Amino acid sequence: MNAIEITGMYKQFTGKRMTKVDALKGLDLTIAAGEVFGFLGPNGAGKSTTIKLVMGLLRPTSGRAQIMGMDSCQAESRRHVGYLPENPAFYDYLSAEEYIAFVGSQFRMDKVLLTQRSEEVFKRLDLWEARKRPIRGYSKGMVQRVGLAQALVHDPDVYILDEPMSGLDPIGRSLVKDIILDLRIRGKCVFFSTHITDDVEKVCDRVGVINKGQLLVVESVETILQRGLEGYTVFLTNPDGKKEELFVKKAELQKCIEQSVILHQSVEKIEPCRKNMETFFLEIVAQQ
Amino acid sequence: MKGGQRSMKTIMQITLKGVFRDRVFHGIMVTACAFLLIPVIASLSMRQVTELSITLSLSLISFILLLLAVFLGGTSLWKDIERRYTFSVLGLPLSRQRYLLGRFGGTALFVLLVTVVLGVAAFVVVLYASIIYPSERPIVWLNMAACILFDALKYILLIAVATLFSTVSTSFFLPVFGTIATFLAGGVTQQVYEFVNSPAGDKLSPVIRQVASGLYYIIPNFGAFDLKIYAIYGLALPVNGLLLTIAYFVVYTGLLLSAAAALFARREMR
Repeated sequence: MNAIEITGMYKQFTGKRMTKVDALKGLDLTIAAGEVFGFLGPNGAGKSTTIKLVMGLLRPTSGRAQIMGMDSCQAESRRHVGYLPENPAFYDYLSAEEYIAFVGSQFRMDKVLLTQRSEEVFKRLDLWEARKRPIRGYSKGMVQRVGLAQALVHDPDVYILDEPMSGLDPIGRSLVKDIILDLRIRGKCVFFSTHITDDVEKVCDRVGVINKGQLLVVESVETILQRGLEGYTVFLTNPDGKKEELFVKKAELQKCIEQSVILHQSVEKIEPCRKNMETFFLEIVAQQ
Repeated sequence: MKGGQRSMKTIMQITLKGVFRDRVFHGIMVTACAFLLIPVIASLSMRQVTELSITLSLSLISFILLLLAVFLGGTSLWKDIERRYTFSVLGLPLSRQRYLLGRFGGTALFVLLVTVVLGVAAFVVVLYASIIYPSERPIVWLNMAACILFDALKYILLIAVATLFSTVSTSFFLPVFGTIATFLAGGVTQQVYEFVNSPAGDKLSPVIRQVASGLYYIIPNFGAFDLKIYAIYGLALPVNGLLLTIAYFVVYTGLLLSAAAALFARREMR
């Protein structure tokens, strides 16, 4: 069973003076269980709209979405989901501990399990010390981490994260990447939106690029990186001890190594030169 | 308890916690201190001190409950949307209907709790005034209790009105001012209806009479919940009329909440 299935999703907003804006133009997307999928796109591309439609916060003009085989319009479909909204906000008069207890009760978690899981996620997200303080006193990064805690606490099979690294410092960003990688190892499905290509390159199995409401491409990260391989930088040391650095085209690596053996050069290091995810993303968006 | 009911219960608990930790609640507690002044103010009348104490106590309760209904009922849902709390809460396996009913239920429960506390304070104040300045007329405590209870029902109905306005509004203007307007209109519909259907009303054009009659059935009739006269003068309570008012409260609140739930289910969380 696919974790998320979006079929013919179309969304039109009515703007000021009754102008119609096509926010999403017939999106078809399937995300398998156990897959980490990065949803890349510039600001206003339709990433958050897609996520809100999947979460039932918006109603599609046409098309539908399913989560673990259940229509996403049904509240019950969200029982399998840990959702982090974009720039999350929580009842700020509650403490993080009270809010997580509320979330756990909505997922009908057993009290003992909830206490144990809360402690785990608070400690992992570095919120343990602050857990009893009202959320209104938290920094933006701490609120973001409460958002992650409420998505993780019930250990769902599907994670839908809207800009999970937003508002986090480098330590926080690294922590989120580690969490996503850990979820991948544990066979969980993670669908997250971002406009930071580096995040996708490091943690995703597949990536989808969306712009102006249209899904432009869906590709495996490995394929993109392989396709983007342009050549290698070969670091050599000559018999007289002099160091040399050569750029070798993809097809000429074997020849270069053979040549170095003939010339009694030692190969110190070979580094692949490839277009990174950012170049791929910019090319795709530019093509449109 | 079923899962859905448990979900609603936790939303009610969260709502109650929010209200107790809100400045509105603290402001109301300060306002409630005015009860301490009632015997002193009533004694200035020199006559009918007990009756005046009852009147002032009931009016103060009514005023506080009105503030609560307007400012808590009118802003509870709107605040959640405006502060983006709904994105996280509605991302949980909780239907919009249960969320809405939970928010309404929490606010209504708070109004009931405040009613009980203020009711007890009113009883103490009136008892104190009646001991210091004994009344010729006996105090009918049951009538006073009924008056306070029906006042609470009136304001719970007003919270349902505020909830309905909140489901379609993008600012606090409609929930707050719409609720105030409904309260003012609902307080006089009975008199307007009676005037329109009296011989004096014959002089009005048929269109005005029909509009007035139509509004009488659409706008909630808050006059039916007013039992102050019965409490102050110890008159016999019209039992059948009260039962009819309770039925009216149940049906009208049910209709308002059904409409609110239907509208909120269609609302886009952008």
